[in-house]
Amino acid sequence: MVTKLKDVDVVVVGLGWTGGILSLELAKAGLKVVALERGEMRTTAEDYALPGIRDELRYVVRHDLMMNTARDTLTVRNEPTQEALPMRRLGSFLPGDGVGGSGVHWSGHTWRWTDMEFKVRSLCEQRYGKSFIPGDMTIQDWGISYEELEPYYDRFEYTAAISGKAGNLRGQIQEGGNPFEAPRNRDYPLPPLTTILSSEMFAKAAKNAGYHPFPRPTANASRAYTNPDGATFGACQYCGFCQRFGCEANAKGSPHVAVIPIALRKENFELRTNSWVTKVLKDSDGKKVTGVTYTNLLTGEEYEQPAGIVLLCAYALNNVHLLLLSGIGEPYDPAAQKGVVGKNYCYQTGAGATLFFEGRHFNPFMSAGGSNVTIDDYNINLDFDRGPHGFVGGYNIGAGFNTPLPIGYRPVPNGTPQWGKAWKAATAKYYQTAMNIGASGSVMANRYNYLDLDPTYRNAFGQPLMRMTFDYKENEHKMGRHAADVVNAIARSMNPTALNPASARTEPWTVVPYQSTHNTGGAIMGTNPRESVLNKYLQSWDCHNLFVVGACVFPHNSSYNPTGPVGALSYWTADAIKNRYLKNPGPLVSA
Amino acid sequence: MRSGLLLGVLSIVIINGAARADGDPARGEKRFEECATCHTTERGVNNVGPSLFGLFGRKAGEIADFRYSPAMKRSGITWTQQTLDSFIADPQKEVPGNRMPFAGMPDAGDRADLIAYLQKATK
Repeated sequence: MVTKLKDVDVVVVGLGWTGGILSLELAKAGLKVVALERGEMRTTAEDYALPGIRDELRYVVRHDLMMNTARDTLTVRNEPTQEALPMRRLGSFLPGDGVGGSGVHWSGHTWRWTDMEFKVRSLCEQRYGKSFIPGDMTIQDWGISYEELEPYYDRFEYTAAISGKAGNLRGQIQEGGNPFEAPRNRDYPLPPLTTILSSEMFAKAAKNAGYHPFPRPTANASRAYTNPDGATFGACQYCGFCQRFGCEANAKGSPHVAVIPIALRKENFELRTNSWVTKVLKDSDGKKVTGVTYTNLLTGEEYEQPAGIVLLCAYALNNVHLLLLSGIGEPYDPAAQKGVVGKNYCYQTGAGATLFFEGRHFNPFMSAGGSNVTIDDYNINLDFDRGPHGFVGGYNIGAGFNTPLPIGYRPVPNGTPQWGKAWKAATAKYYQTAMNIGASGSVMANRYNYLDLDPTYRNAFGQPLMRMTFDYKENEHKMGRHAADVVNAIARSMNPTALNPASARTEPWTVVPYQSTHNTGGAIMGTNPRESVLNKYLQSWDCHNLFVVGACVFPHNSSYNPTGPVGALSYWTADAIKNRYLKNPGPLVSA
Repeated sequence: MRSGLLLGVLSIVIINGAARADGDPARGEKRFEECATCHTTERGVNNVGPSLFGLFGRKAGEIADFRYSPAMKRSGITWTQQTLDSFIADPQKEVPGNRMPFAGMPDAGDRADLIAYLQKATK
């Protein structure tokens, strides 16, 4: 028995960054907006206050803020020839659950992705020729440019209280910022965070080696701040609990601080928590969607929520899953290379070194999520010639600490026994004396990395699980080796007492240990419906009143954290709906 | 030299037993931005921190519907210009184990401004 509810203008599936921004913007435009969130209501005062939030067991080991794999998960495999098995515990990536979504437990790193990504294929072919791109590397241009997105990056940075230092103001390179960044119209809303010893030592070594270190832009407010919508932030306290935790000081740019409370004050916005969307409904000719069905997780009752516009704003993977379950768009088939939904799933790679300096005291317990110094010389620096190294993409290198947990962070030199008295003595000795230098690398789309429905396993609602087929390819191996060499050279130049050197990830990808919650693609944007699910406004090519927002729209993954363009594209889509779609409902780009 | 000067200032504070009384409420309103994400001055509006309405003369940990830390409840503080001044200067030193995530406002002039503002705004 499905109860049909009263029609609304907009239904938003998932209330994190994308859902929060779009809900607020469309409510401001006077639309009746209903947001359906699968998880609980959560606020700083009730859920992230001291001392409860300092619970490593609850938040790190038991994943209290993450999706519940007993209800829904994915099956995973490396190659299409393998049988996929369900991921029964979270590991490699940690999708959020609850109001605020993954924007609650992120670290805050906020980048502006540039035309190096948006024009990845054309720039690469122009410079290196068509044959440089391997045949199974299905990278494609995004259909959008940095210039178009610049005002929306700005909007997001000022909403989320980003601390940083401009490197390129309207074409003028700024001392101390990232000289490789694309030109920005104005500086960040807040100055960079206070540096910490490990990032200072790295900055010095990187500078000596001829690189260009700069403070990482991050949604950890360096000062108290009020955003353009009137949301207030406290100053970061450098407590060391950022990634996987909510912020007790409201200093982390999170949707439950920055946008959702403002939306909740509007009468034409309604939030329904514990609401699990099972399907997007199409009308009889398949040209429009009519709403969604969802289950109230507390009562088990099913509802149909009709809506004029449907916005898929769940976690990247869940948006793709919903499209597949709803039969919207043709599922991607890697053998025939036909279809689009599930295509170009990407992840990230990396290589990290741990350096030990006897006699130094790094005080890792005092740090912010983004108190890193970074170099982009092998990343968005287009002068770096990839030709001799034979890879597409790039990597950034950073050093500092991000959530070095009092219990979980146990750096010890290679060769230390892994348990017992000697291990205990070593962890006590090295806790204060270790620092890390890490490279984060892009992953280019590949024909055989994709998402589809699993033929065997089902979730708590009886629906097929989504199946993830993914592995790192030769392109990533080559880049990983290059990155490891550079990291190790910088590390050695710092003369550590001991060094656990970086090495490339060349083993098959697995679901353990934690690697990155930067899952991208599967519902990609692009220039035409043969190659993409969405047009440049993130509007479905198939159903014009359906928009899909989040990292699932990225046609490939860069080395950068995804939230910058996720936030910018949310504002970009909100504008497209408000200023164009509402005036003239229909396809915003003709196919 | 500088530390000698600071010591001098400190001893004056101790001798007088008083926080600086020359605060400017207009500047203090600006300082309050550091507090505003958690505290309001409206009656009955608790957020991450308790409402500051009617703060002066109140005992610490007194608002019935706010969950204070045991440390704050036990502190025995009555909020005056002086007690607020030493608390805001270094909250963890003054009330060890309290759960306010704020490192402190080291500048005595800033605190005087903030307190001058709060004296007006919390009435």
